[in-house]
Amino acid sequence: MLKVKNLSKTIQKKSILKNLSFEIDHGSIGIFLGGSGAGKSTLLRILNNLDTADSGAFTLDGVTLNLASINSTHTIGMVFQHFNLFEHLTSEENITLPLIKCKGVSKGEAEMIAHGLLERYSLLDKAKINVSNLSGGQKQRLAIARTLALDPKIICLDEPTSALDPRLTNQVAKFITELSEENRIVLLTTHDMKLLEQLNGQLFLIEEGTIVESGQKSDCISNPSTYPKLASYFM
Amino acid sequence: MIDFTLIWDSLPSLMHGTSISVQITLIAMVIGLSFGSILGLAETSKSRSVRFIIGTYVTLFRGTPMLIQILFVYYVLPQFGVMIAPFWAASLAIGLNSCAYISQIIRSGVNAIPKGQLEAAHTLGFSSIQTMRYIIFPQAFRISLPSLGNEMITLVKDSSLASIIGVMELSKEASIIRSRTYDAFSVLLAVSLIYLVMTGILSFCIKKYEGKVRKHA
Repeated sequence: MLKVKNLSKTIQKKSILKNLSFEIDHGSIGIFLGGSGAGKSTLLRILNNLDTADSGAFTLDGVTLNLASINSTHTIGMVFQHFNLFEHLTSEENITLPLIKCKGVSKGEAEMIAHGLLERYSLLDKAKINVSNLSGGQKQRLAIARTLALDPKIICLDEPTSALDPRLTNQVAKFITELSEENRIVLLTTHDMKLLEQLNGQLFLIEEGTIVESGQKSDCISNPSTYPKLASYFM
Repeated sequence: MIDFTLIWDSLPSLMHGTSISVQITLIAMVIGLSFGSILGLAETSKSRSVRFIIGTYVTLFRGTPMLIQILFVYYVLPQFGVMIAPFWAASLAIGLNSCAYISQIIRSGVNAIPKGQLEAAHTLGFSSIQTMRYIIFPQAFRISLPSLGNEMITLVKDSSLASIIGVMELSKEASIIRSRTYDAFSVLLAVSLIYLVMTGILSFCIKKYEGKVRKHA
């Protein structure tokens, strides 16, 4: 279980996150909702050590997480809104390079892992193609594959459908569900109602840097009076 | 009138000079590209002192004539006990000058790379040096290729400045033939053509390489 306790962050005297706390189990999808500037992306950036928290405690399965060195442990991975693939490399190299250079995997083994993931995400025929020649959907699948190659226990996806053709939402929902079925913790931010409809998970509504409501999606739908703000997303 | 016999008879000397010019250009290229790339990448660091040192170096080498820099390396360094042969003094000075320009070309290339590339590398666990080596530099180099090509062509022409300290490169050989025969037109025409061929070949190779890189991208 991932536990985040009293996370606070101030940027230029503006409080972005205020004592934000939540817990989420392995195999669950945590969906962070809220308006623009609510602090959703900042939360994912802090968990991935792209920003630093002013205060807060982080534990995974009872063990304290040191976010300053979390990237080298490959405990957590991030799929960016605009994918951020390495544009000078091929699809295969985007997966093998981090494996070889950051995880110390041999070239042969890295290629084997890459082939497995490219096959899983229907990109095997694009293995030797430069990523700038891929479509948006293919880029996102590759971004997920690249993150997954390092086998993180937690995967964060920042607005996973915002840069994609809306017709691809079903496919993205399927990939996200598969990640959680592999017993990973999946954390994502979204404004996409169609994606929200297709995912089952724990919803967290962030307003002004703090979680104001949280609950399982099914509970929010069946008990709207208990979760008035979250339920409004499904009305 | 063009004296073709004089040009034909002078060819061995001119070819020798060409070979020296090419050697100076290549050495200056190696110095410029290697140290210029390192300085360009280092200048994007957060350290103020690193940026200040590189900025001072660039200001000094871009703000003073290359001719003076060659004279400085050849005549002033020996006063501090550093003796350098004319050929090496010229190659070093031209290389160090080029280094200042190349560092700025690479720095601009690095600045043109989206921040997201750095962030992706960071989350995947690349160290700062690995990020520069495997992610940022290859992309910055590609972006900078046209400007780097121009700098390489400039180096070929700048190699003629080595003549000031007596290096027997192409223009110095031409100068000797001219003073011996008093036929400036024929000799300078021949030398100009040789420089044109050298820059033309280099320009062709750079364009080919750019095309290859673009095709791969």
